[in-house]
Amino acid sequence: MITTIAWATCREAVRSRTFILLLVIYAVGVCLSRVVGWISSTDGNAITASVVFTLQSLVGVLVAVATGTALVHKEIQEKTLYTVLSRPLPRWQFVVGKYFGLCLALAAGQVAMLAIGLGYLWLTGAEVTRWLVVAGALTVIEVLVMAAVSLCWTSLSSPLLAAVLGLATYFLGHAVASLPGLMHHLKGWHQMLAVSLASLIPNLGHYTYRDQAVNGLPIAWADVGVAVVYGALWIALLVTITVGIFRRKQL
Amino acid sequence: MSDPILSFAQVSYTYRGDWLQRVHALKQVDLTVEPGAAFGFLGANGAGKSTSIKLVVGLLFGHQGDIRLFGQPLGDHRLRARIGYLPEQPYFYDNLEVGEYLAYLARLSGLAPAAIAPACDRVCDLLDLGDLKRRKLRSFSKGMRQRFGLAQAIVHQPDLLILDEPFSGLDPLWRARFKDVLALERKRGATLFFSSHILADVEDLCDSFAVIDHGTVLEQGRIADLLGQAPLALTGAGPRPDAANDLGDGTWRWTFPETERAAVLAGLGGERTILRLERQRIALEDYFVSRIRAHHAAGKRLPSGQATNAGDPS
Repeated sequence: MITTIAWATCREAVRSRTFILLLVIYAVGVCLSRVVGWISSTDGNAITASVVFTLQSLVGVLVAVATGTALVHKEIQEKTLYTVLSRPLPRWQFVVGKYFGLCLALAAGQVAMLAIGLGYLWLTGAEVTRWLVVAGALTVIEVLVMAAVSLCWTSLSSPLLAAVLGLATYFLGHAVASLPGLMHHLKGWHQMLAVSLASLIPNLGHYTYRDQAVNGLPIAWADVGVAVVYGALWIALLVTITVGIFRRKQL
Repeated sequence: MSDPILSFAQVSYTYRGDWLQRVHALKQVDLTVEPGAAFGFLGANGAGKSTSIKLVVGLLFGHQGDIRLFGQPLGDHRLRARIGYLPEQPYFYDNLEVGEYLAYLARLSGLAPAAIAPACDRVCDLLDLGDLKRRKLRSFSKGMRQRFGLAQAIVHQPDLLILDEPFSGLDPLWRARFKDVLALERKRGATLFFSSHILADVEDLCDSFAVIDHGTVLEQGRIADLLGQAPLALTGAGPRPDAANDLGDGTWRWTFPETERAAVLAGLGGERTILRLERQRIALEDYFVSRIRAHHAAGKRLPSGQATNAGDPS
């Protein structure tokens, strides 16, 4: 049942105009990234690569937030889930299936973006290292975590508010990454409070190896492993919370 | 006697709004739908029809009282494999094609992979969707969506078909076609449970009915019994009885309830001639309106199943 729902969700998502439009925006952005490379005073190729990978993350997160927040709420609003949930299907399978379907669509979009981005860098003469591929793959996981964040927020609030909260989580998630550097300014309960609050937000710093990869520096495989496990745990937690809320929803 | 396909016993349901707001959508509802029946669920907007249906199909929960589906209490989601559900004004995913959407829902209903394609072909033939299999549903009109809605409800050949306003948005030709398809489903052995505002459709299709208003079932019974309560109309010639209406051509018409038949016929005497004695037709719509108005006038719940002056809806 989960795979059936996931496939249908994926098909529906990749055929949506929003999805295709954002891919087109990404492709245009990649083409324009060269302009930034030309006007920079440093290594033009590195700047272009940096812009390409930042675009992949930003567009990916935007798609994840836009589709993730609409995923369940839109189904409730438009009543498309009536013909699905009236079938012999437990609600948790519906939520998990929807999330996996969204992941499939997002991953497909991200792989397409990565291919376009790397292809463009190769065509423009930039060096395409395996670390660029690894950094791109970590961005895919970041996007999947953000999809789970959006799904969870949308089960608690309206799609618009969920989108705002989703984007706020994205920026806070990157801010949390710089928390250890600020810790020495805090003492006692202030420090405990800061650590406690930070632990409520996924640390997206685990997925920002883009600059490192662009500059040709290797990424430790242990860090990649930690990022994958950390992301999987957050996804499991957020999807579980969403399931718990959705099971109690009156439709 | 076999268990009812669906039964409600003292079922109440309350929607919880913001803060302390509460809406009592169903109040101690009793309903029984027998196997093989075609059951019409009548009620005005907001009467509680859709709430009842949503409880049965698992979209709502947390009711008081006992709802039994196929003789078992609600709760086991596997029971829903035997239900086909057409929601009111159904909406579907825009970007899926008819064929893949039907296959998707058939698979969710538990059909074996090998049975899915023949099942989809069967319902596409029944509802003229065969040529539209590759079309996406966003290009569908309201009537076409309704056709797809019925197709997805019957694709897995359910034992109980629950249809919420199935004829809305259909032109007369498709209404007739829907009735044919539903008749086929009944012939196959399915039980029909549907709500409709178009009472002529209920009259055509149903053998039993219930009237619900403000969450309370006012009456439940058989359509045949209801129609049997219709008054008699006697057309005669000769001296006009005081209670009869003069038809202007030397004949008259006397309308009286079934309970007075013997007394009226005995009192005619030898000088009057009976030209015709027939049962008047009850328009279900009139009856329905009269019951709801009576309920509102009484300002209280009428006992379920209570026989009233059905023959005089005015």
